[in-house]
Amino acid sequence: MFARAQTEPAPMHHQQAEPNSCKETGLGCATAVTPAFDAHNNLWLAWVAGGAVSVAHSTDLGHTFKDVTLIGSYGALMDSGADAKPQLAIDAQGHAVLAYGVFKDKAYNAQVFISTSASIWAKDGPAFTVPRSLSEDSASQRFPTLAFNSNGRLFATWLDKRTVALARQNGQTQTGAALAYAWSDDAGKTFAPDTIAQDNTCECCRVALAFDSKRRPVIVYRSIFPGHERDHAILRFGEADRTLPAQRVAEDHWVIDGCPHHGPSVAVTADGTVHAAWFTEGTARQGLFYARSTDHSQQFSAPKAIGNIAQRPGRPNLLTVGETIWLAWKEFDGKRILIKEQHSMDAGLHWSIERIIGETQHAADHPVLIVHGRQAYLSWMTHDEGYQLIKLQTP
Amino acid sequence: MTSRSHPIWLLALCILLAAALPSSAQAGSTRLLETESFAQVRIRYAHKPLIVHIWGLTCGPCLEELPRWGELEKQHPDMNLVLIQADDAPVDAVGAALDHAGLGRVESWSVPSELDEFARARIDPSWSGEMPRTLLISADGSVTTVRGVADIAVITRWLASSDAGAKPVLRLHNH
Repeated sequence: MFARAQTEPAPMHHQQAEPNSCKETGLGCATAVTPAFDAHNNLWLAWVAGGAVSVAHSTDLGHTFKDVTLIGSYGALMDSGADAKPQLAIDAQGHAVLAYGVFKDKAYNAQVFISTSASIWAKDGPAFTVPRSLSEDSASQRFPTLAFNSNGRLFATWLDKRTVALARQNGQTQTGAALAYAWSDDAGKTFAPDTIAQDNTCECCRVALAFDSKRRPVIVYRSIFPGHERDHAILRFGEADRTLPAQRVAEDHWVIDGCPHHGPSVAVTADGTVHAAWFTEGTARQGLFYARSTDHSQQFSAPKAIGNIAQRPGRPNLLTVGETIWLAWKEFDGKRILIKEQHSMDAGLHWSIERIIGETQHAADHPVLIVHGRQAYLSWMTHDEGYQLIKLQTP
Repeated sequence: MTSRSHPIWLLALCILLAAALPSSAQAGSTRLLETESFAQVRIRYAHKPLIVHIWGLTCGPCLEELPRWGELEKQHPDMNLVLIQADDAPVDAVGAALDHAGLGRVESWSVPSELDEFARARIDPSWSGEMPRTLLISADGSVTTVRGVADIAVITRWLASSDAGAKPVLRLHNH
């Protein structure tokens, strides 16, 4: 089903293509791009294009990319949905892990594949492994999110339908999917057994992941509360990798038996404040919102509306650099797609006024914020301009 | 397996041929939703009540709901129903899902790739991308939106009500 990893030597630079006709696997046709810096100042990208996942790196901050490696090619089975993004994590020693979802049958059950590199700095190239299934479970897994904590432990979380499938076998109906996770202590070579953290999560929204000051995962996800309310919850970990009871981030009351295709973002500043941003169309509020918690996520501040509601703000992405927090999001004014940002230098108490940091006149990926050293960047793929790494200045 | 591998001229030819057919012959085969397709649907059904049901092949709630639309279609064979499959998915898989749901003869469209903000706005400027979504478009052009899985009883009442049909006026895009 998938090709073995292979290397193409041709470098590329800001390729363009016509809308809807772009079927190549190169970066120029990418619809979803994920960046990661390594410890040697190289920018690595993983992207989905033409039904395939590829990786390349840049030694000049994203101007040019080289050593394009096709990791797997799946055609129509590639999960290229609106909220799906390949995942790429690199630790300080140069181990890399890539993860993504692929549909595996006519019922659109999916499978999360991972591919790892033992050293992205190896003389003969990163030698990403042939993709393999992250989970041994046969039901359905989708929307992986993974990251290394500062101890070098790899944490992966995803949406999993095994408990839904089990309920169905028992003649019961269980809505949504379950939130699952697994740790790896060898940079993705092997994982500890999967754990189901929570049933009744939204099955079609990406999951947000950060780490707290104790290097424990902090997960924000769209949950399904009683009455089909697809509002956000936060899951934190206590001692010995055990999960604490999930807390509701906000009572938006978005009652929908359906797929919002719109996941949240989470970040933790150095002072321990947890920041969440999310999209909702609830009865209590509609649009893009931000809230913060200073008491270990027991309570969040009143949701603060973000962006211009007339331009349908969404697709939030949060980034912390010390006690500075950045929030980027997407808007659409009918003619242009805009990426805007706001930032706070005091862990979310006071915010800058919003500012446009990117705009384009055709299709565009969602914004991703990334830090290199102490410098924040917007990583953004657009149809017209190609890949851009845009430096964010604090005025 | 997928039309995505076809040469683009073949795709264009198919669309031209499909567009040239009379509307009665358009039912029963899923066509690719191009830039102007939805505007043409609205013009074709101007001054008539129309239900536009947006669904996705990878959307679980959508697939569970689909057979209920099949049932409704059986009970109301004269209603104007247009289906739009809005996931990046092969057209043949769309057809199979519709046949399975008893909707094989209903006018059906499928997006050629994941919808961006521009393409979504052409269908419904207030749509943030969630599915399923149903637009109940009255003869006067006013739109009632049903988000998520629809209560078929609500749809049935709308079909029977004056909202659906009466008082045609010249307003096509009143959201």
